[in-house]
Amino acid sequence: MVMSGTPPSKRRDRSIAPTRRRLLKAVGTSATLGAAGVAGCLGTIGGDAENTVTYATLNPMSGTYNSLGPTQRKGAELAAKHINESDEFGFELKLVKGDTETDPTAAQQAARRLVNKDGAQFLFGAISSSVALALNEFAQDEEIIYNPGGAAVPITGEACNEWVFRAETNTAQVAEAVSEYTVKNLGNRVWFHISDYAYGESVLKRVRSRMEAADANLEVVGVSRSQLGASNYDSFISGIGGSDAQVAVLGMTGSDLINFVGQAASQGLKDRVNLMSPTMTFAVVRGALGKAAVGTYGGVRYVPQLETGDNRAFVEAYREEYDGEDPDNFARVGYESLRMTARGIEAAESNEPAAVKDQLPGMEMDTIFGRNQFRACDHQAMNPTWMGELVEGSGETAGVKLLSKVEGKDALPPCEQLGCSLG
Amino acid sequence: MSAATTLLEQVLNGLTIGMVYVLLAAGLSIIFGVMDVINFAHGEFFALGAYVGLSVALATGSGGFWVALLVAPLLVGLVGAGVERFTIRPLYGRNPLYHILLTFGLVLIFKDVITLIWGQQPYQFAKPPLLSGTVTLFGFDYALYSYFVIGIGALIALGTWLALTRTRYGLVIRAGSMDRDMVRYLGIDIDRYYTIVFAFGAMLAAVGGVVLAGRQNVAPGMGNAVIIPAFIVVVLGGLGSFRGAVVGGLLIGVIQTFVRSQFPFLEGLAVFLLMIAVLLLRPQGLFGNPEWGTGGEGGDLLTAGDADVFDSALKRRIGVGLVGVLAVTPLLIGLPSYYVNTLVVNILIWALFALSLDFVMGYAGLVSLGHVLFYGVGAYATVLAVMHLVPSLFVALAVGIAVSAVIAWVVGYLSIRVSGVYFSMITLAFAELFFSAVFKLEWAGSSDGLFGFDPVYGLFAGPSVGSIELVGGVSVFYYVVLAAVVGSYLLARQVMRAPFGSVLQAIRESELRTGFIGYDVTVYKRRAFVVSGGLAGLAGGLAAVQTGGVSPEFLAWIRSGEVIVMTILGGMGTLYGPMLGAGVYLVSKELLLGITEQWQGVLGLIFVLFVIFVPRGLVSLPGLLAGRFDRSPGGGTDVLAEEETEVTD
Repeated sequence: MVMSGTPPSKRRDRSIAPTRRRLLKAVGTSATLGAAGVAGCLGTIGGDAENTVTYATLNPMSGTYNSLGPTQRKGAELAAKHINESDEFGFELKLVKGDTETDPTAAQQAARRLVNKDGAQFLFGAISSSVALALNEFAQDEEIIYNPGGAAVPITGEACNEWVFRAETNTAQVAEAVSEYTVKNLGNRVWFHISDYAYGESVLKRVRSRMEAADANLEVVGVSRSQLGASNYDSFISGIGGSDAQVAVLGMTGSDLINFVGQAASQGLKDRVNLMSPTMTFAVVRGALGKAAVGTYGGVRYVPQLETGDNRAFVEAYREEYDGEDPDNFARVGYESLRMTARGIEAAESNEPAAVKDQLPGMEMDTIFGRNQFRACDHQAMNPTWMGELVEGSGETAGVKLLSKVEGKDALPPCEQLGCSLG
Repeated sequence: MSAATTLLEQVLNGLTIGMVYVLLAAGLSIIFGVMDVINFAHGEFFALGAYVGLSVALATGSGGFWVALLVAPLLVGLVGAGVERFTIRPLYGRNPLYHILLTFGLVLIFKDVITLIWGQQPYQFAKPPLLSGTVTLFGFDYALYSYFVIGIGALIALGTWLALTRTRYGLVIRAGSMDRDMVRYLGIDIDRYYTIVFAFGAMLAAVGGVVLAGRQNVAPGMGNAVIIPAFIVVVLGGLGSFRGAVVGGLLIGVIQTFVRSQFPFLEGLAVFLLMIAVLLLRPQGLFGNPEWGTGGEGGDLLTAGDADVFDSALKRRIGVGLVGVLAVTPLLIGLPSYYVNTLVVNILIWALFALSLDFVMGYAGLVSLGHVLFYGVGAYATVLAVMHLVPSLFVALAVGIAVSAVIAWVVGYLSIRVSGVYFSMITLAFAELFFSAVFKLEWAGSSDGLFGFDPVYGLFAGPSVGSIELVGGVSVFYYVVLAAVVGSYLLARQVMRAPFGSVLQAIRESELRTGFIGYDVTVYKRRAFVVSGGLAGLAGGLAAVQTGGVSPEFLAWIRSGEVIVMTILGGMGTLYGPMLGAGVYLVSKELLLGITEQWQGVLGLIFVLFVIFVPRGLVSLPGLLAGRFDRSPGGGTDVLAEEETEVTD
């Protein structure tokens, strides 16, 4: 396959740092490090530029989300390996790595280093929404392709732009899977408890409105909010237990959710009220909760036992690569972000981000979830979602039983509703 | 459920978490009372207790929890003894600030060691079956484990109280926390007790860690999450008071729980408001004795002002030369623009932030632990001004400076009436108050922050920031930042050379004497605080433009810690030292990032060594080395030795 080295085009550039392309010109002139007092070495930029794609994976390896970053990176690393081994792709993918530190300023700096110094033309990563939103802006300024690993709706909603393509399933898609099932099967007297930040509020808003649409008799018994990062949930658990709620919807993730469910289980709340959280099935949550998670419900973005697309092959390859470890959703996102974008690069016959961004929207391709695409109007992958119940697993960790599936086209609300209109 | 049982349940909830606070705060408070050490690493002992307990429990199988409850605190106590012996001991006699700094470095090291050993994923501790489930007492169901936490906490608190009041060790320790010198005069070697006290404090924290691990997950951030509430407890109860720690811990636990259920909007804010109120109305806390200890006045701040070996003409030449190099070279050499437009810009911004802190810390002796507040407020105000007011970069930065200065005036007005450690604590409380509040504010973007703003160079229009580039891809914004930083430096230098600066330095040397001469000390400090707040606001505004937006991370207290580290590293009390410190810190980070994922731990280690061996910072290194090589009688002065013999008033 021939990669066409498109000549640098003249376009508007709002970036503070110069774009990658201008850098490529500049670098040719000199490579001495000088008076700025910065030691270090220059990455090889360009090189066999015609046939190489430099992809940056920028994951939260430290900071609040440091427990999720490593698998996200593993997925990306596996994808790089497969792309380089496969005949399907006629280019070499060079992976460069960075740490977001779960902080937008640090992430921005790391992204500049990867793009400007290491010559990355494509960027994947971040989990927290503030970091992903910062990188959204960065991608637009630098005119590079960015695959966010965050699930917040605005990333491909109100803050969308033409350079951003998301393989991660967003909160709205998960809400679609859990809302109707919960209100129809688990009970229509519902208590919402959320962590007091943007994600929690978006769960409250979306799940409640979807539940209202599904069941006119929905009764919201109570709404409570805890501080992000709180570790003691006794008073909320008492409040929910003392009400006549049948279901508690928990709009929280990570440590917050683990602590809430763990404490709820030990106070016996689980026996009285159905606990449901859109992120309950996350491997990290299940791993930390052990048996305490059994009997709760959650949305499913991905679990290894899925029979969709080429998931079997992916799971086997992942196990083989990482000592029998199962991939989680973040690993899938890492893998699929790179592979879906790589298919775009292949089809565009160019490693120019500008050409790839015109190629990718609406392009049908095979994925772990079967036929999929980045939807043309907002560049959100049309992933299916599931409702799951946590059941006794083989070991200490609870397994996930899939209760119902929402197909990709049904799970994703229309673009206008999410606040984005591209192309 | 009746109102009475709901009430009872909420009280029990509060007591459960309160007991864990008691375990943490008791150690923290005794350590401070006896040794004057503000131990930021206490949270890490707590986390270490939980992790060691986890491993012990896994290794011993069934009944492992009980083994862990015994073994983990002992192991952590040993670690604590080692920490005291090898890192804290060399610092006795210095200002408590140095302990804050040292233990801040230890936090970074511990955190990386924990992730290195146990990884980053959270764990859940398997509770013993005996303590699982709920139990019915007086006709109402409640988690058995919570009763267990309350019981074991009460037992340990009682035991500690008995040890403190009924044993000879306790007698000496209590006496030491009231007047260390008097104990020494009585012929008791109080230093010997320090190791015991510190190890005991670490053990209490570890018990807290194991016990709490049965209720919440064990994760690397758990130490960080408890240290601030523990400080609030200690401040509320009274620094150095065991009784205060017990009452304060239970009180905070119950208040937190009630606020959560009754006034949810105040959740996360109430404790900080309470802390501020207590510090203002009764700085010694509920049970503290203002006569006790020497909080804040023990030992001097080691500024680098007089350790400075260069004469001013040479300094001027170096300074002008450096600015010249920064201004010209990026245009001449074809460096990847990352170095200039990102790394150097970042260093310059932090240099400005460090300068602003030094202005109050190095010159007026005000150790602000919450300086990130002004940085963050400046960042938010700048972004909001561009979004809602006028797109001009310069107007927005001015708005940022103004808003930060106003906030600094208010915070200064309230805080400067208390001094020493209490001042550090109240500024920390204000910063945390804003940090918690921003999550609740929709218009400030909540946790997502505010991104996608586009400042321009003109007043209402004009080229957008970053659109203009010069030769070699150097952004014009680089020069904006360079000019802002150089301008701020010159302003600060001018202020310090004026009589105003002399008064500030006089205050640092002796507040009392300055007052006697007839200066209104509070007014001078407050003015310095406002200037400092404004400069920090400018740094924050520039950082927001550089990041392309702002998010709550701009207000995280860890940044206050980082900027203090930079200031000390460079040498406070000189204006250029902290700026140098910022450069060295960030370049080291840049280099370490490429080598190891444990860069934070390595930086922490370097920092700990600096605090112990080079307390006056990089600026003092030439003098220190000269002193080492020139030790002949009548030769160069050894800055450290000189310091130790200095008599404070």
